[in-house]
Amino acid sequence: MNLIVFTKRVPATQEEELRITGEGKAVDLSKVPFKVNDWDNYSVEEAVRIVEKSGGAVTAVSIGDAESDEVLRRAIAMGAKDGFLVETGDILHDPNARATLIQNFLKKENVPFDAIFTGVQSEDDQFGAVGGILAAKLGLPFVSMVIGIDAFESDHAIVRRELEGGLQERVKVMLPCVMSIQTGINEPRYVSIMGIRKASKVERKVFKAADYQENVVSKIDVAKWVYPPKQAGATILSGELEGACKELLGILKEKGVYQ
Amino acid sequence: MSYALVVSEVRRGIFEERNLDSIGLCALLGKDAILLIPEGDYGMNGQLVDGLLKAKVEEAVFLNPLNMVKILEKVMVARGKPDTIVLTNSSSGNELASYAAGYFNLPIITDVNSYDKEQGIFYKSYYSDKIFGEFKPSGDGTSIVTVRSGSFKEFAADKGAAPSVETIEDVAVSTARTFMEFVEEEKTDVDITKAEFLLSLGRGIGNKDEIPDYEELAGMLKAVISGSRPVIDKLWLPKARQVGTSGKTVKPKVYLAMGISGAFQHIAGMKDSDCIIAVNKDAEAPIFQYAHYGIIADIHKVRDKLKDILKG
Repeated sequence: MNLIVFTKRVPATQEEELRITGEGKAVDLSKVPFKVNDWDNYSVEEAVRIVEKSGGAVTAVSIGDAESDEVLRRAIAMGAKDGFLVETGDILHDPNARATLIQNFLKKENVPFDAIFTGVQSEDDQFGAVGGILAAKLGLPFVSMVIGIDAFESDHAIVRRELEGGLQERVKVMLPCVMSIQTGINEPRYVSIMGIRKASKVERKVFKAADYQENVVSKIDVAKWVYPPKQAGATILSGELEGACKELLGILKEKGVYQ
Repeated sequence: MSYALVVSEVRRGIFEERNLDSIGLCALLGKDAILLIPEGDYGMNGQLVDGLLKAKVEEAVFLNPLNMVKILEKVMVARGKPDTIVLTNSSSGNELASYAAGYFNLPIITDVNSYDKEQGIFYKSYYSDKIFGEFKPSGDGTSIVTVRSGSFKEFAADKGAAPSVETIEDVAVSTARTFMEFVEEEKTDVDITKAEFLLSLGRGIGNKDEIPDYEELAGMLKAVISGSRPVIDKLWLPKARQVGTSGKTVKPKVYLAMGISGAFQHIAGMKDSDCIIAVNKDAEAPIFQYAHYGIIADIHKVRDKLKDILKG
């Protein structure tokens, strides 16, 4: 089984204050730490588990700048055989442009695969559309929100898709196919610094995105970036910790949930 | 004639309420809304739209992206290309939307939460909901959008007249992907939807070893423990404790959120709580926009201080 898994280096914006610069032209990420996209971490783990069980190889591919080598080393440390970087300085906001670039790359480099795994979405743009677009462009079946793989055979897979409210659906999909993997599908293995250092010795191939530009055109324009409109917002219990905590307990009493 | 096509999300015979957001966006776009739906009784008010397109297929066939593109091909032959195709920002909505975008080579904007009619701009959140991007499809052709639940339903209005009805027949059904069955969540003894007071834990707790100390606090406060997706994904709490779109929707008297930043999928599952109290060290965390009260502090310190006071 040959599996291609996409992995992306994204800004960890959860606990960062973000600033818009140039009157909405850009978002300043210069002080934000970067990490592997959460969804891709689960995808890599799932792909590695499949080849560990039934043989074959995982190829990790990242589209991004030279720094993205970091997520490839990580994937190799987790068990991927190869790491391919399709290097570009451009941020491809449009999922169509990103999927077309991937399609061109896979075709030109003739990378063999039985299935392609992508994360459901990437944390930065929250688009969640590259997997589906890519599948349709390649003429392959697609399943998204995969939260469990019950069987992975030579010509088909049985997977569970996450729906809403705790409900799942089980579907059969023929291979080759594209799957978008949901977080929580597995427990990704721990990657040690030693492991990553060892993975650094495995050669990663670097390709230039400029070589795969046919039809890579953005179909959407970003006019500008803005801050979300403010809601009423919370009354902040400020001051010393003890005072704020006592105030909190007072609210619980007032609401009748604690005596 | 120009129109917007709403691809409805139906599940087990139910017309999902978030379809109203799709219909509401059509009103903002100023387009006739034509609703595509599988044939059958889905109990929706047809007068909310200008036309119904009933596809003569079963629900599971309809919700399969490999079939949906064939249905859409027939719609385009019958009615011409829509200006906009609108779907829900949900598991199936996004799956259908992205596949259709690739198949028909159309621009797509997902998770749209507002629309500026003057400028024709769609707003979509980025970077943990801390930034919005203003997006426009390039060119004048058909574009595809998925809409965030709760964003546009107030614009869906009864048109006071019965919709036109057309049918789509003879849809080619794919064998490359087939529906097998639904899988229900396992029943458990704790039902967080029944709790009056939830102490809900998020990514901010940092690691699993912290859980027992929060359980102890919950015990002292007589609160029930719940959690957000990252905590469930990491298996720190069981799935039945998950609050959010893919978990449970809760409306307790008090929802005390500790270390939860407030991803939209989480907010959707708890925003109707009577009183929301958020504790987070990040003052910019979106949850403070939805909470009634907040403490900006290290959650472990708040936990320990609360325990000290309660013991004292």
